[in-house]
Amino acid sequence: MRNLPLFWARSQTLILWLIPGLRRFSSAAAGVAVKNVTRSNFEPALEDLRARVREADFVAIDLEMTGVTSAPWRDSFEFDRSDVRYLKLKDSAEKFAVVQFGVCPFRWEPSRGSFVTHPHNFYVFPRKELPIHGPSYEFLCQTTSIDFLAKYQFDFNTCIHEGISYLSRAQEAEALKYLSSKYLDGLANSFCNLEEHEDIPLGRTADLFFSERMKAKFQEWRDAILKGPDKGCVYKENADSNEMQFQTVFFKMRPAVFLDGFSSHQLNLIQLVVRKHFKDLVYICVVDENKSWQRVVYVETEEDKASFMKEVQQDLIRVEKRVESAVGFRHVVDLLASDGKLIVGHNCLLDLAHIYSKFFGPLPSSMMEFILAVHEKFPYIIDTKHLLNSSQVIQFLMKRSSKSLSSAFSLLCPKVSSDSQNSTSSTFVRFEIQADETGSSCFNSGAKHEAGYDAFMTGCVFAQACSHLGIKFEVHTPSYDLARNDKIKKYINVLYPGWNSGTVVNLNTGTESPESGYKRKYPAVIFANIVLIWGFPSKLKPKDLKDCICSVFGPDSITSVFFIDTTAALIQLSKEEFVNEILVLKDTLERENDPISVLHPLSKLLEGGKTCAANYDTYRDICAASASKVLFADQADSLGIRWKTKLGTGSQETREASCNETTTEVKSLVEHLSGVRANFRRQFKHQISCDDILDSLNVSKSLHG
Amino acid sequence: MAASSGKQRWAGAVKQVTKSNFAAALQQLRTDVDSADIVAISCRKTGDSVASSRRHPWHRVLPIDTPEVAYLKARLAAESYEILQFAVCPFRLRGHKVLAYPYNFHLFPRDEINLIGPSYSFSCQTSFLTSMAQEGFDFNACIYDGISYLSRVQESMVKERNPIPQIQPISSCSSLSVADSIFMSRIKSRVVHWWNICKESSNTIDGDLIESLRKLISGTELYGSRPSMSISVCSDRQVQLVLQTVSHIHDDIVPLVVPDKPGGPKAVRIVLTSSEEDKNLLMTEIQNFENEQDLRVRGFREVIDVISSSNKPVIGYNCLHDFTFIHSKFIAPLPPTLFEFMCSLRLVFTNILDINHLSKEIGPLRKAKNLCAALSYLKRQFFVPIDIELPPEAAEENSNKAIHGNNVLQITYLFAALNALLKLNPDGQLPQGQNIMSIEDYSNIFYPICTSLQEPDDELNYLMEHAKKSSSDNLVFLWGFSQLISSKELKRELQQIHEVFMEDFELQLMDKTCAAIVFSRSGLAEALLKEMGSGKFCSDALLIKTSGLRAVGYDAYRKVCMSGLWEADLADSLENIIAGSTNSLSASSEKDSSEVYWGSESTINLSEL
Repeated sequence: MRNLPLFWARSQTLILWLIPGLRRFSSAAAGVAVKNVTRSNFEPALEDLRARVREADFVAIDLEMTGVTSAPWRDSFEFDRSDVRYLKLKDSAEKFAVVQFGVCPFRWEPSRGSFVTHPHNFYVFPRKELPIHGPSYEFLCQTTSIDFLAKYQFDFNTCIHEGISYLSRAQEAEALKYLSSKYLDGLANSFCNLEEHEDIPLGRTADLFFSERMKAKFQEWRDAILKGPDKGCVYKENADSNEMQFQTVFFKMRPAVFLDGFSSHQLNLIQLVVRKHFKDLVYICVVDENKSWQRVVYVETEEDKASFMKEVQQDLIRVEKRVESAVGFRHVVDLLASDGKLIVGHNCLLDLAHIYSKFFGPLPSSMMEFILAVHEKFPYIIDTKHLLNSSQVIQFLMKRSSKSLSSAFSLLCPKVSSDSQNSTSSTFVRFEIQADETGSSCFNSGAKHEAGYDAFMTGCVFAQACSHLGIKFEVHTPSYDLARNDKIKKYINVLYPGWNSGTVVNLNTGTESPESGYKRKYPAVIFANIVLIWGFPSKLKPKDLKDCICSVFGPDSITSVFFIDTTAALIQLSKEEFVNEILVLKDTLERENDPISVLHPLSKLLEGGKTCAANYDTYRDICAASASKVLFADQADSLGIRWKTKLGTGSQETREASCNETTTEVKSLVEHLSGVRANFRRQFKHQISCDDILDSLNVSKSLHG
Repeated sequence: MAASSGKQRWAGAVKQVTKSNFAAALQQLRTDVDSADIVAISCRKTGDSVASSRRHPWHRVLPIDTPEVAYLKARLAAESYEILQFAVCPFRLRGHKVLAYPYNFHLFPRDEINLIGPSYSFSCQTSFLTSMAQEGFDFNACIYDGISYLSRVQESMVKERNPIPQIQPISSCSSLSVADSIFMSRIKSRVVHWWNICKESSNTIDGDLIESLRKLISGTELYGSRPSMSISVCSDRQVQLVLQTVSHIHDDIVPLVVPDKPGGPKAVRIVLTSSEEDKNLLMTEIQNFENEQDLRVRGFREVIDVISSSNKPVIGYNCLHDFTFIHSKFIAPLPPTLFEFMCSLRLVFTNILDINHLSKEIGPLRKAKNLCAALSYLKRQFFVPIDIELPPEAAEENSNKAIHGNNVLQITYLFAALNALLKLNPDGQLPQGQNIMSIEDYSNIFYPICTSLQEPDDELNYLMEHAKKSSSDNLVFLWGFSQLISSKELKRELQQIHEVFMEDFELQLMDKTCAAIVFSRSGLAEALLKEMGSGKFCSDALLIKTSGLRAVGYDAYRKVCMSGLWEADLADSLENIIAGSTNSLSASSEKDSSEVYWGSESTINLSEL
C-alpha cells in the first residue's frame, strides 16, 4: 500500500475483503463509505466527481422520491395498455420530487484486479434559489413513501435544510432571460428617450399628485446632496404628512436613494419622473440576494453616468454566474449525459422519467417520444432488473428468487455484502470503495434504500453479472469499452418497464416488445372489448357486477372483471359488439324511466343514478388528466364529465381502433372475483400490487378452472 | 411588554408535543382548557391558498373572489396540503394580565392502525418548507415522531371495519313471539349448562386431556384469563334476546357483543367472572381497552375534541384558512358550499372569533398584512401593557428554546391587546353576546383577504392599496389572446378593438391564458358580453394575436370553482363550463351580484412567473 502512487497517499482505501488486516466491517450495510453531498460541499464534490466519471467504465445511479403513485388507481395494472402505463409513469415523475440521488462511478483498476468505486449520495431539494418573483415550486408526497423513507432513517432535515437545488435546462434559460431582462430594462429605461415611453398615462389625478410630490422630493434630495458639505449626511424628509423617508445610501460609490415601500405602479411613475426631469439621476433596478431593489442614483456628469452603467453591466455577468450556480444538481446530470457513459440502474424507467422531467424539460406526451428523447441524452443504459430477468445464467444462479436489488446483491455479491473471509474464489469480482480522508465527516456507512448505497449495490450486481456472462475484466486492456462489448450488447438499452406486462422497452427503437423469456400465463387483454364503469353503488361486489351483466348478455359474455378501486371497474367482454350494446342499453334504460326499465336486470347497476360507462379510451383520458383524486369516480367528476354514457361514435372507428389494440402485446386474464376488496369503500390505503393481483388470480383460477 | 421582545422572551415557552409525550400532554391540556376563558389556535401547513401555486396562479385567493369562491379555493388548499404543526393556547384573561398555557403539537398523517391513513398523499410548497427550515424546524422529529390522527368520519369507518367487542345496554323487547321464546329457552339452557360446568371444573382438578375435552364439549373459550363462550346471533333482535336471557341467569356473567365486519352483530360472547369485584375489574378493563383504542385511532384529533366539547370561544388568525384545514383533516370532508361548511363547523365549534375581524375595529390595523405587522403597529401606536404569564415548568422542560408555535402566543397577545383597547371586558370577564363575534359574522373574514402568518410575500404587499368595491356584474373574464402578452400590452390592444374599452377599466391576468376585466361604469360588461355573443365583435380583432377572443361574466368563473375544474388553465376550465351549460349562462343577467374588491395592483405579472 505504501508504494502506491501519489493518488493513493491522499485517499484511504477501504478494501472490503481483498486484503485481510485492513479495516473490515461486519454487517452487510455498514461497510460502505458513502459520500454525502449537500449544499455545503457540493462544489468540491462536483469537481471531484467530474474526474471520477471521466475515468469510470460505468456509472450506477439510483433515486429516492417522495412518492410513486398519486392515487391508488394510478398504480400499474395488468389491464393498462402501454399508453396508459406511460401516462401513469408521467404522472408520477411530474408530481413527486426527487430527494436523494445516488451516483457511483466504477473503474476497473487492472493493477489491483478490482473495481474502484466512489459512491456519492446527493441530497436534492427543489428550493427556490434565484430571486425570481412568482409562484414557488410544489410537489406531492405520498404518505406511505415518506413513512417508508423514515423507516430507513432518511434525514429529512438534511434534505430540506441542506439539499442541493436545481434548475432544468428550460428553467435556466428562463431565469437568465428574466434576470438579464430585468437588468437591461433598468438600463434601457435609464437611457431611452421620453417619446418611447409616453405610454404610461398619467390618467388618474392621484397619479399626477404622486408624480408631482415625487418630483419635489427628488429635487429636494438632489439639492441637499449638492449643497451639503458632507454628502453622506442622512437627509430627512420633513414633510410631516408623509411617512416616507428618503435615506441616502451609497451605491457604487455614488449617493443613492433606496426606494422601498412603493407599489410597482408607483415605481413606474417614479421612473417616469426621474427620466423626465432629472438628467443627473438614474433609476436602476438591482437584483440582490433575494429580491430586486429599486434605487435612484445620483451621477455627476454624462461620463460618470456612462461609467456607472458599465459597472452595472458587469453585475449582469455576475447574475449569469449566479444562475449557473443555481443550476446546482443539474450539473451532475449534465456530467452523466455529457460523456456518453454507460449508465446502470435497477428498474430505472421511473428514475429516467424523473431525471428527464426534472433536469431536461417537460415529459413528452407519448412513450415513443420519451424513449427516443432519453436515448438521445443517455446513449447507453443498462437495466439490471432486465439483465437479471433475461439472462439464463444469472437466473440459474439466483435460483429464481426475488429480483429485488438487495436480494440480488446478497446472492450475486455475497463477498461484498457479507464480507466473508475466503476471498480466493475467482468467480467473484472485487470492489474497493475509496473515500478521501479530507472530507471524512461527510461519509456515512451506507444503508439499504439510501440512494448512494443502492447505486453502489446496482453497480456491483452489474459487474458481477458481467463476469457471469463471461466478460473477463482481467484480460481486457484498461481502455476497453463495456458499452460495446458483445456479451452484454443485447442487454444494453433494454429496460424493464416496471410492471408485469411481459414486455420490455427498447430505447434504440423506441418501442415496446415482448420479453423473450416471458411465459404467457393468461389470454390476451383485448382492449376493444373492455367497458369502463364507475360511480356504481358501493355495495356492489365483483360477483354482483358479473351476474348483472351475464343475466343480460348470457353466461359467457364476461371474460373478466377488474376493480380499479371500489368505485370503478373494467369489464372485459367476450365480444366487441357487447361494449356498444351495453352502452346503448344503459343509455336507453336511463332515458326511459318506465317500470320495465326499473325491473331490468341491469338497473341494479344503475342504482343511485351516478353510474357512468364508457369505452377504454375514456379510461385513458381520465388517466391522462392531471388531477389525482383518491377515488376513481371522484377523479372522473373532477374532469367535468357530465355525460353518463359515452356511446361509440361509429362502429367503423371502433373496429379500426381495435385492430391496433388487439395487436398490443399485453395480456392477462384477471378474474378478480374474490370480492375481498369490495368492502373497502373509501379506503385511502388501497394499493393493489402485482402480487395481490396474481394471488387473486390464483384463487379465482382454482375456483373457475 | 413589548411585542418585539416577545420572541426572545417566549423562546422555549411553548410545550412541544410529539408522539412520545402526547398522552400526558393531552391530560394536562384537558385541565388547562377547562379552566381557560378562550383557546387560541394556529397551524403551520405545507402550503396555503394565500401563496400561489406554480402551475395554476389563479388558484390563489384573489381580491375579486366572492366569499363563496374564496371558500372553494380554501377548500382546494385544505384538501391538498397537510398540517405539520398545530399550536393550541388556552388562556385566562385578567385585565392586562394573561395566563397562557401554550402547546405545540407536531403532526404527521401516518397510517398508524394499518387500516385507514388520514391522507393518501399531500402537496408541499417548497417556499413553506424552506421558511420552516429557516426557523429551525425539525422535519425528522415531525415525520418520525409526529402524532397521527383520523377525522371523525374516518374514525367511524374504522369502527365499521375493525369492530371490537362492546358492552351493550339491554333494551327490553316489547312483545315476544313464539320463536323468540324458543330461542331464549334454548340459549338459557345452553348458558346454564355451561355455567354449571365452569363452576364444577373450577372445583375439581383434572388432567389436561380431560380439561381440554371438557372445554371442547362445553364450548368454553378464554377471554383474557376468564372463561367465556360465544353465542352466534344473526340479528340485532337476537342480540337483545340473548342479553335479556343472560341477565336473568346470574350476575357474574358479562355479555359482550361482537360485531361483524359490515357493522351488524355476529355473536354475543359471555364472560364468566368469579366475583363482584372481578366483574368490576373486567368492566374497567374493557373500558380502558376501548379508551386506549380510541386514543390510538383518533390521535391528535382528541385535542380538537377537547376544545370542541369545552365550548370555549376559539380565536385564530385567518380563520377561513385554518378552519377549512381543521374541518377537512379532523371532522369530515369539506362540503361543497360555504353555507354548509359554516353550519357543519358550527356544530363543532360554537364560537369562533377571527382576529382579523376584530382588528378591523382599529382602522389602520386592517392594512396589516400579517401578524407581525399588526403587532408592531399596535406597539407603535398604542401603549397597551399586556403581561403574558406562562407556566414555569414549560420553560424548564424546553431547554432548546424552540420558538415553534409562538404564533399562537402572538395571537393571544394581539387578542389581549385588542381586547384592552376595545374595552371588551373591563372586569376581566368576557361579556356574553354582543361583543364576542359569533360565527354569523364569519363571512367578514374575507376582509382583508391575503393575510398570512408567514413573512410578507413581496407581490402581495400592496394588494389592497387601491382596492375598491365593485360589483361582480362589472367583471368580465376574457381569453383567447396570445399567451405571451403582458397585461399592459393586452390593455392597449383592447382599447383599440372596441369602444367599450375606451372607457375606464382595469385588467388583471388571472393566469397566462385568461384575464379579468372590471369596468368602472356598470352596464359595460353586459354590453360587451352581448356583443361578443352576437358574433360581430371578433371581425376586426386582428390586433389580438389570435382571433378567437372570448368572454364570460362572473357566473362562469364561479361555476368553474364550484365544479372543481382546478386542474387546468382558467381559459380551458371556462371553455369547459360554457360548453356544458350554454342555457344557464345566457340567463346570467339574473344572477345575484356580489360585492368584490378590485385591487389594481394585484396583477400577476406574467414576466415574473
